[in-house]
Amino acid sequence: MKQERVGIIGIGQSAFTAQRDDASYPDLVREAVVLAMADAKLDLEQVEGIVYSLSPDAMVGIGNAERLGVDAVGARNKRFLRINTGGATGISSVISAYYHVASGACDVVLTAGADKVGECGDSQTVLNKIWDPTYERQLPLGTINMLAMSAVRYMEKYGMTEEDMAYVTVKNRRHASLNPNAHLRKLVSVEDVLSSRCISWPVKLMDCCPQSSGGAAMVLASERYIRENHLDAVWITGLAHCAETYWLGDRMASSVEADHADAFALGRAFDRAYRMAGIDDPKTQIDVAELYAPFSNTEFHSIEAARLCGLGEAPKLVRQGYFELGGKVPVNPSGGTLCTNAIAVTAMVRAAEVALQVWGRAGGHQAAGAKRGVASGNGGDHQIFGTMVIEA
Amino acid sequence: MAYKQQPGVIGCAIRPLISGQDRSLEEIMYDTVQLALADANLTIEDIDGIVVASNDQFDGRAISVMMASGPVGGVDRDILSTPSASEHAFVMGALRVASGQYRTQLIVSWSPTEVSSLSEVQRLGNDPYFHRRLPLDELSAHALQAAALEADVPGLHEIAEQIAAKNRHHGEYAAPKTRPQAGTERWPITSSMTSQPVTGAVALILATPEFIAERGIVDVAWLKGMGWATEAGFIGDRELTRASALEAASQQAYAEAKIDDPANAFDVVEITDATPYTELLAYEALGLCQRDQWGAQVGAGKFQRDGALPVNPSGGVLTHNPVFCTGLVRITEVANQVRGRAGDHQIDNVRCGLAHAASGFAMQYQSAVVFGREQGMSA
Repeated sequence: MKQERVGIIGIGQSAFTAQRDDASYPDLVREAVVLAMADAKLDLEQVEGIVYSLSPDAMVGIGNAERLGVDAVGARNKRFLRINTGGATGISSVISAYYHVASGACDVVLTAGADKVGECGDSQTVLNKIWDPTYERQLPLGTINMLAMSAVRYMEKYGMTEEDMAYVTVKNRRHASLNPNAHLRKLVSVEDVLSSRCISWPVKLMDCCPQSSGGAAMVLASERYIRENHLDAVWITGLAHCAETYWLGDRMASSVEADHADAFALGRAFDRAYRMAGIDDPKTQIDVAELYAPFSNTEFHSIEAARLCGLGEAPKLVRQGYFELGGKVPVNPSGGTLCTNAIAVTAMVRAAEVALQVWGRAGGHQAAGAKRGVASGNGGDHQIFGTMVIEA
Repeated sequence: MAYKQQPGVIGCAIRPLISGQDRSLEEIMYDTVQLALADANLTIEDIDGIVVASNDQFDGRAISVMMASGPVGGVDRDILSTPSASEHAFVMGALRVASGQYRTQLIVSWSPTEVSSLSEVQRLGNDPYFHRRLPLDELSAHALQAAALEADVPGLHEIAEQIAAKNRHHGEYAAPKTRPQAGTERWPITSSMTSQPVTGAVALILATPEFIAERGIVDVAWLKGMGWATEAGFIGDRELTRASALEAASQQAYAEAKIDDPANAFDVVEITDATPYTELLAYEALGLCQRDQWGAQVGAGKFQRDGALPVNPSGGVLTHNPVFCTGLVRITEVANQVRGRAGDHQIDNVRCGLAHAASGFAMQYQSAVVFGREQGMSA
């Protein structure tokens, strides 16, 4: 039996910035919902279910903060639940919305959320609390030094240099300068990145994502509903999750499954999504990619996990412009997570941006001729991964 | 009902009261999952995906699904988390099986009691500017709802006491060794109407008809219908004497299960009796008994375990109150009743059962789940 497809019919996202004094947390959610519903040319009355995208409550400072977002997404007396897989939450929410439709339960589903990372005080203080209270919090671990350790291991294994990392930032800032919704849009040079303040060696300030505020929303619908209502859509053809161990110490072996240089479970999640989408050669079959990489070094192993090149090849190809807009496979043409990170919706923006690309609606950062793309989200301590293939 | 595949519950583990300090939370999760797998005669290798539900503030972790992935078998596996409610993990797992893209799903939820004050944790759920300084925890919200209902229904306090007595009696039958500690009084809710929070965990396994047939599994609770809905987040925006979200959720579930006379459709019901007032409100919203009949039907013993419609033969939340996972416990209790595996509190000849799950301030989130013994969509 041929599976009925699930389509994306509406997208809304804020112009992300460090601070939004003009909007409360629910206001930001509402902002994205209004944009997405207008894009879908539907009213909230037609939405049958809502998947709320919110990662740690502590970032908003309100327990179960999704409850305060109920009216922002128009959910009173409707199906409503919240997803949290850390940084992957946004794509996990799109995936969960997909299953509301793919199961046959709903024809039209909205997924939405927002974050005010720029206004949470210090996100690293919050993120330290994701680790085990007895053994790891006191170190003190944060997401920056966690992935700095990954960078050190990648350097040793594949010969990556700090300059290689800087090229990722330069590329993504160039892309972000073309995207009006990106947070960091200022062009920078390799020298700028290398001379920026060291945060956790080898990660420097400009190798890091910003703390962003803003919202995102997407509307999904069944193929039958889309056809009957003559709506425009792009299609989710592959999706998956996969997780690694919680314990960082268990990822510091040299086996394939436990090497902190690579992203084993992320690769498995891509493989599963590709299998579902019938893709057997991503290097030639993927036109564009939006890969969750909050630090410059993590874009390398994300590209490799997406099978867009071999292990250890990504630094050289980035330097050659292979993953630039205009290159063979543009990676993060929106500027990516490195230029915008409102954590609760960052991974949703990855899926939304791929959808816009294959729709041919990405504006100034459009990848020419893109018809099939892939998105990913990373959550927890680089632990829980979601992937999605989207096609025109 | 338009589900691509009809999910069936094939394994359950209910641990509504875990006492002692000899097992860590990770070990409690592991133990619970192993019990559910054993009940289904499966191993973790048979599990395609996992949905967990926990509360970060209860667990004292910023993203509690992270720590869970190992103990529940999530490493190198598809794992998802619904921190809004334990019952929402069931909903997501059922949707994934219903899509036909997964053969099996493991659903797990837990609720520890190690935080210094659950009440303070719950108060963090209020907006920080206007309401957090009020003493508004979940019990206070229930009390506001109870007071509103008492003003609307004459003689309600006595009916609520009868409901609590029923559930206590059921609890003595279902868990004779359990002596729940009386709850905290908050007018008009008396201490005998609730019980103190305890540590608990629950797991169940869902599968497709094809997987169930392939494995020759016979004790199955087939999902006939499922609904879930929310009310407004701000309690001042709500009409507390009605459960509009539960009315919506039950309409979804009954439409899928083709139930048009719910008062006579079920052999057993489990309701999230956070207080006896919420149980009564659920009777009405679920179409089991309208408020003008509460006194007569409760007084006549209709909802006793030997009555015409047994409600909460497990003893309900009054007997075991693992706060965050009480909703998934109700769903799993009904699945076990339908499977004929409810143990001492099994009701005879259960063909069709209804589970009600609710959570949040004054039952903001509401869910209704219908299970049947026979495969096929009609209840």
